[in-house]
Amino acid sequence: MYGDEAAEVYGALLRSLSVVLDERVSPLSLALDQGKGEIDKPRRVLFEQGVCKLPHASVLGGMGVPFGVYALAMELVGAADASTAMSLGIHNTVAEAVAKFGSMEQKKRLLPALLSGKKLAAFALTEPSSGSDARSMRTTAFRRGGNYVVEGSKMFITNAGEADVYLVFAATGTGHGAFLVEGTNPGLKVGKALREKLGMRGSHTAEVRLVKCTVADDSLLGPEGAGFEQAKQLLDSSRIIMGMICVGIARAAYVKALAYAKGRDLFGKKLSDMQLTREKVANAAIEMSGARLLCMHAARLKEAGKPYSSEAAQGKVFATEMAVRTCDATVQLLGGYGYTSDDVHRHLRDARLLTIGEGASEVLRMLIASQELGRES
Amino acid sequence: MNIVVLVKSAVNEAELRADPAGHPMLAGAAAKISNFDMNGVEEAVKQKEKSGGTVIVLTLGGADAKKAIKEAMAMGGTRGVHILAEPPDAPDSLGTAYLLAKAIKRIGEVDLVVCSEGASDTYQGQVGAMVAEFLDMPFLAYAKKVEVVDGRIKCEHGFDGGVRVLEAKLPAVVSVVSEANVPRYPTLLQVMVAGRKAIEDVPIASLKGPDYPETGMEVLDVTLQSANRKRVLLDGSPEDASRKLVDALKKEGVL
Repeated sequence: MYGDEAAEVYGALLRSLSVVLDERVSPLSLALDQGKGEIDKPRRVLFEQGVCKLPHASVLGGMGVPFGVYALAMELVGAADASTAMSLGIHNTVAEAVAKFGSMEQKKRLLPALLSGKKLAAFALTEPSSGSDARSMRTTAFRRGGNYVVEGSKMFITNAGEADVYLVFAATGTGHGAFLVEGTNPGLKVGKALREKLGMRGSHTAEVRLVKCTVADDSLLGPEGAGFEQAKQLLDSSRIIMGMICVGIARAAYVKALAYAKGRDLFGKKLSDMQLTREKVANAAIEMSGARLLCMHAARLKEAGKPYSSEAAQGKVFATEMAVRTCDATVQLLGGYGYTSDDVHRHLRDARLLTIGEGASEVLRMLIASQELGRES
Repeated sequence: MNIVVLVKSAVNEAELRADPAGHPMLAGAAAKISNFDMNGVEEAVKQKEKSGGTVIVLTLGGADAKKAIKEAMAMGGTRGVHILAEPPDAPDSLGTAYLLAKAIKRIGEVDLVVCSEGASDTYQGQVGAMVAEFLDMPFLAYAKKVEVVDGRIKCEHGFDGGVRVLEAKLPAVVSVVSEANVPRYPTLLQVMVAGRKAIEDVPIASLKGPDYPETGMEVLDVTLQSANRKRVLLDGSPEDASRKLVDALKKEGVL
């Protein structure tokens, strides 16, 4: 895909990451789901490894590897710990925003800290009354003197409470703007952590309120009025990553299903010899490969600078729904053990978020259909 | 200080499968740097970081062995040297040691040669000592602690119930055990940079001289140990089954 020599280097890079994930991240994952352990520990390991540097240009302090290689790395992270993968994926979406739309001063000020993990970022677009319908957001930002004053509320924000920088989208007089708000800003209030969520329990999710939150002019990312278009572009990119994380989640469940099916005896033979088990295994294998290829196709289009909005949405819809099906099939295959074991059903619970977050399946189908029918969404 | 570290591209035993007769299925088996060699590389890099100088990663093996060199270079090796020996020409331990020693002599002034206690696949543990013999250097075996000061090497070698402390003048060959250090995880950037570095290829024929040792030794057979479960099913009520389980465990000497 990338030429023999480069493929060898990228292969070594992914193998090295696999070793770190197997030895230092996967062993922490179950405890995090159970509400034990330090949420930032696996993330620190991966920051040290340089996972967030992968797709960014070397002049910006990144490693400049193709976006598809970063996507493959995030599949591996997703298999090792879905919550950490999501937290890092969202953090890196903010880094991408700064790299793509930021001024030179913003890049210099923020990118080294974001890529090395010295600062953690959160992406604040969704609101209590607008998720997929982001254009109807109620958060506002108005100029006052040499500053902007941001007012409103953001909901279901990953990394909330831990983040040092929040990328907050708000309606301005001329459209929408994206503002970089420091976590220490007294006008930024983080609500109670949403602890009763179904999955992704190894990451923080909370409401973020902006109360007379005053930020300097140079907190605005790009021109005023460009915020909504920026959000669309960032979400296109992020959807590829969320799709690949789901391929990883599905694979983690699938490996457990295979091991169980090969060891479980019933009716005088192995569960893996049963025709209906084999159908589940085959379907999962087909769907995982299909999902990876769809997401990687979108990644390749992004690398080539071609439009990829519909392809990213297709990859995300297929991969996230595939992960729910595969993880559900794993629970079914393990029967009572699947239903009663955190270590099995957590994959299903984790996957379930991603048919909702970063563009619900229904909204993404609208987007795909609009593009197929030749209309802009 | 110029250090040479010896590494081997070993079969990844975690992924190795056996055929029904118990023979390892080596064709296409995944290979990686021998686990023990990670400690050797870590020790070499640690010593370089203390004293400055270079770490040259040296291996003998097929084309796949370059991956092992690059793994070691990602951990801090300065450059790599690969003696290319595809399976039909692959020498035994004595031949390997001869060729490694010849390559080390060709490298030039070397202060320290570091190796591990053995390869994680065949675990014969012979090459390090033989290399020292060919180089006419002292061999400090199974070191769990290594110190290099003022041109001398001091090692601790642990044995059942005690520690032996050895010292020698450099140049020397030292083999380290896994207690010696904790191998570092290279960052992804280090892996990428190492992956793009060129490795010096050395044809096996360019090292062989008339004194090449032909032992005539052949490996006749290799089989893998298999763990067969007894698969005993205890029936009856929970109380009966528990009693039977305790009896069975006593009979096996577990209790």
